Parts: sequence; structure tokens; C-alpha cells
Amino acid sequence: MIPVRCFSCGKVVAAGWEEFKKRTEAGEDKGAVLDDLGITRYCCRRMLLSHIEMIDVISPYQ
Amino acid sequence: MEIDIIELSERSAKFILSDVDTSVANGIRRAMIADVPNLAIEWLELYDNTSVLYDEQLGLRLALVPLTMHPDYVPESECTCNGEGCPSCTLNLRLDAKGPKTVYSGDIFSSDPNVRPADDNIPIVELKEGQNIMLGAIAHVGYGRDHVRWQAGVACGYKNMPDVIIENCDGCGHCIDECPRHIIEIKNDEAYISPENMIKCSLCRLCERACSLKPPAIQVSYDPRSFVFTYESDGSYSAKDLVLKAADVIENRAGKMAEILDKI
Repeated sequence: MIPVRCFSCGKVVAAGWEEFKKRTEAGEDKGAVLDDLGITRYCCRRMLLSHIEMIDVISPYQ
Repeated sequence: MEIDIIELSERSAKFILSDVDTSVANGIRRAMIADVPNLAIEWLELYDNTSVLYDEQLGLRLALVPLTMHPDYVPESECTCNGEGCPSCTLNLRLDAKGPKTVYSGDIFSSDPNVRPADDNIPIVELKEGQNIMLGAIAHVGYGRDHVRWQAGVACGYKNMPDVIIENCDGCGHCIDECPRHIIEIKNDEAYISPENMIKCSLCRLCERACSLKPPAIQVSYDPRSFVFTYESDGSYSAKDLVLKAADVIENRAGKMAEILDKI
């Protein structure tokens, strides 16, 4: 799951995750989507850019 | 002390604080991060958790969700109930969900209609078929100095007001190419920075080094008693209330300090 807050500054980044995922999967430029979401600092941007959803990988082994 | 507001929105603000010492600016910054009382989930009563997250991970995620702060709530240690738990220091919340679905912060049910998650679309956990969550949560008021869950001010910072002096410029334009903020332009065959661009200067001094004249025609300095302040709120307070609350905290402490000094 996407971390709720940015590790460095503490901004709530998870609120933008669903929209970020939907729009980037539709082919929009990641940087432009982040700007739209108001995620401007590079500490917060890396939180979304580098995130990989692992929940589907883990769930069969519960 | 003078305050000049440049931007003010619900969750972020930028202002110029002038005619004060660094200690005042830093005091406000630190108070916003660490000393503003805030509500956050501190305890969980888990009845059922068959999701992929461990109880502790679930607890951390819930704790980090900002709750809108209501001024009636006080920290447990300062409450009239002496920490036993009463409606003015303790808030009960509930979360029940049955998979398959993604649980969002908006699904958290608060027993007080004045307090609710500041954002409704924070994913807490994704439940698959047959996975359930049933929990009760207790939120307390705390301070950012104890844990990040109570930190209301985000990315609070300031810089000194930049003051770039340009004298005897030959208009070669080297500084324009060098400036990472692109704020220098040519006006009347001389380098020029407009007042609205001056605030964007990061005081990096690359323009000074790029200048071919000796001594450099462009000199970067700053006003030691003027500060450009930027900060964001996590949603528990509005940006305006956050800085006012921080100022209140400092005022209270200064008052207590004066009382102590009087007794000596």
C-alpha cells in the first residue's frame, strides 16, 4: 500500500495516489499529473513515482 | 513586526515576516511543527483483521491519517479527568469493512460529527474476497514533538529576504544563463531583477561567480531581519489557524516564563 505520508516532509501523499495511478495508466505524463495534484517537492514526488503495489503479490499467501 | 501575506489557501501559505530576529522566525517554525496540539488515532481495539497488513502496519496507517482538529479537545495530561479518559480528551472512532473492497480513510466512522478524516480518499488497505476488518480506535490530542501523527505543520521553512544589488553592469548576460531560477533579465542594457522575482532567488550566488567583471557587478545579499516563510498544513488545521495557534503557543510559554521569573 502507498505510504500515507511523505517520509521526509510529512505531507499526506496517499490522498493523490488513486488519481495518479488512474491518470498515468491512461498515458498521461507523470510529472504533469504530480504538478496537477499539487505535489511539488521532490521528496513527495518520489513517494508516488517509486511506489510499487505489492498487495496482489502477497495476498495469496495469507 | 510586519507581516505581508503573499499566498494563503486552505492548506498552504507564504508570507514575509519582517522586522524580527531569526529567533522569532525559528520559534514560529518550530512551534508549527512540534508544539501545536493535534488529534490523531493512538490506540486500536482490533476485533478482526484478516487483511494482508499486520495489525501494527494497519495501526500506523490509521494513525497517520490527519483528523480535523476541534478546539474543544485537550491533551489527556492537561484534562480535568486526570487522564482517565473523558469526552474532552478522548475520541472514539470505528472502522468496519468487508472484502472485496479498498478501505479508504472516508470509511472511518467518528463518534463526534465535528471531527473527521481531513482527506476521504487515503487508501488504508485493499481487502480481497473473504478478508475483513473490524476495529475500534481511540484518538487523543498530542504534540508533534512526540510523534509524527500529531504533526500539523508540514514543510515549514523560511529563508532570508534576498537582496540582489546590481551596479556598473556591462550587460553581458552571463548571469542570466547561469541563474537556476531564471529571474534575471536585461533592462536598459543592464541586468535587472523585478521585485516579484527577487523573492524567488535562492541566494545561490552562481550569478556572482558568472560575472566577468572584477569585483562582480551583481552582488547577492539578504536582509537578516526579514524572512520569507512557507508552510503547509496536513489538513487538521487550516493554514491560517495553524500559524495563529503556533503564535498562541509561544505567547503562553512566554507568559509562563515571565511568571517563573517573577517568583525568583
